[in-house]
Amino acid sequence: MIKKIIFYSGFMILVAALSMAQVWKAPDQEKAKERAKERVKFIKDYKDEDNILRKIALIEKGISLDDVKNNYFLLDSPIIKEREDHYGPVRFAHKRHAALINDCTECHHYRPKDESMLETTRCSACHQDSFNADHPERIGLKAAFHQQCTECHQEEQNGPVTCTGCHLKNVPDHKDLVKLADNSDAFQVTAECLRCHDQAGEDMLKTAHWNWRGPSPYTVKHRKDVQHGKGTTALNNY
Amino acid sequence: MQLTRRNFFKFMGATGASVAVLPSSAQAWQSKAPPDPYGCLVDLTRCNGCRKCEDACSTVNELPPPIKDVCDCTVFEKKRRPDENAFTVVNRYFSGKLDELDKPLPVFVKIQCMHCQDPACVSACIVGALTKKENGAVHYDVSKCIGCRYCMVACPFEIPAYEYHDPITPRVRKCTFCFDRISKDGGLPGCATICPVEAITFGKRNTLLELAKKRIKDNPGKYVDHVYGEKEVGGTSWLYVSSLPFSKLNFPQLPEKPSPKLSETIQHSLFSYLWSPILLFGLLGGIMYKSKKKNDNPQDKGGA
Ligand code: SF4
Ligand code: SF4
Ligand code: SF4
Repeated sequence: MIKKIIFYSGFMILVAALSMAQVWKAPDQEKAKERAKERVKFIKDYKDEDNILRKIALIEKGISLDDVKNNYFLLDSPIIKEREDHYGPVRFAHKRHAALINDCTECHHYRPKDESMLETTRCSACHQDSFNADHPERIGLKAAFHQQCTECHQEEQNGPVTCTGCHLKNVPDHKDLVKLADNSDAFQVTAECLRCHDQAGEDMLKTAHWNWRGPSPYTVKHRKDVQHGKGTTALNNY
Repeated sequence: MQLTRRNFFKFMGATGASVAVLPSSAQAWQSKAPPDPYGCLVDLTRCNGCRKCEDACSTVNELPPPIKDVCDCTVFEKKRRPDENAFTVVNRYFSGKLDELDKPLPVFVKIQCMHCQDPACVSACIVGALTKKENGAVHYDVSKCIGCRYCMVACPFEIPAYEYHDPITPRVRKCTFCFDRISKDGGLPGCATICPVEAITFGKRNTLLELAKKRIKDNPGKYVDHVYGEKEVGGTSWLYVSSLPFSKLNFPQLPEKPSPKLSETIQHSLFSYLWSPILLFGLLGGIMYKSKKKNDNPQDKGGA
């Protein structure tokens, strides 16, 4: 009981200390996060022009790589997340893609019909929720991203094409998944992890953490071991 | 009262009993298809075989998780069918073409109940456990089902499955078109919502049909000129467009006539021969009784 109280009070102090300390946040990342949350007004009508004409129009208007302001975007739109939310944001290196492809019209394939609007609008202005009954031919934002990114990556044989190549999977809440008795020992805990993550266990056996062997002159009682290591004599080798 | 088409059918249904005495040739078969159902358009040129739709379907229908092999590629080695544990499955076919890396180009096909406009399963069901809803879904009501499994025989797509493993409360199982979800305003089927590339487009069937034809017209080189489900068995709520002929993708080649006629014939012949199973089981019972008597004696002696 006493132990628990000490542990929890220690924990509380730590949390308080952390929240008081000024945590440094990367300003560009914060800006990208804010931008990812934005929703813009749906653009109903677009100018249906031929790709060549569109390229010429961009050249005439003097739009070039120099106009690319943002290094990267986080793709994490609430439009997608309110339907399904299984993956973390994708970090899309906008400037790098622009420099590599050097053709804005690859992605900015149409412009809004309203001439007063920006020449290159963001994807989520035209592509929003899927299955819009008023615009059945217009694909949703999620499909627009996936069709555009994967198709190009496949064609160019460059860039990720699998789910986890771009996203991190949301980690599910393990509260109900982990099933352990109250006084489980270390071996039982490891076995419980391995119940689902057996591949992670296999992989671990191939890492330097497990395979490292060598003398450890400063480890109590193991001063003379020449084959010391996690996989041999170290204490926590379960 | 203005007699609309729908009211007319309601009226017909209510007076069905009295009409039944008329000679059968007098009741020409009439389509009961809803006029503006929902549907889904599956574009096989978009599907990348990620099988997320299988995941979503099992989640929303509380089914066991779809099979996971060590690598997704081995799942496709066998052609699978929807069953009582999976209302939809994705199979892989090869187009015969090669991609940029000289690898054979696959075509993935998601299959599930087609939610026919005039479903054979519905007309085969003698207790009305299966019904075609106004919103397009072919709905199954377990409380009415007597387990005769005529629907399984009648379905031209071999869709309904049966929980043979469950001796107490077996159910017929098939894609529900996420009936509860799509009945809500703005509700979408689980599979269509999760599909990352919008290979499944949800909407009104009439709109989807136009959309499908527009896609074919705008990209004649990409698609074969056929919307599967437009006319097959009188039309289905789920439609497909593809880059390969449907006959190469294991889609049954079906007549344009709805199949309820066939199922009605099956039913009628089963009923008119109802006496034959009684005779058969009587005979079998007699044989079993006799052979049991014979077997009983040695067992008694052995003291087993
Ligand atoms: S596909 Fe089969 S189960 Fe589905 S509605 Fe048609 S006949 Fe019924
Ligand atoms: S409509 Fe619903 S039940 Fe049918 S396959 Fe899709 S998710 Fe499954
Ligand atoms: S989720 Fe979409 S892309 Fe993935 S297998 Fe299903 S239909 Fe194909």
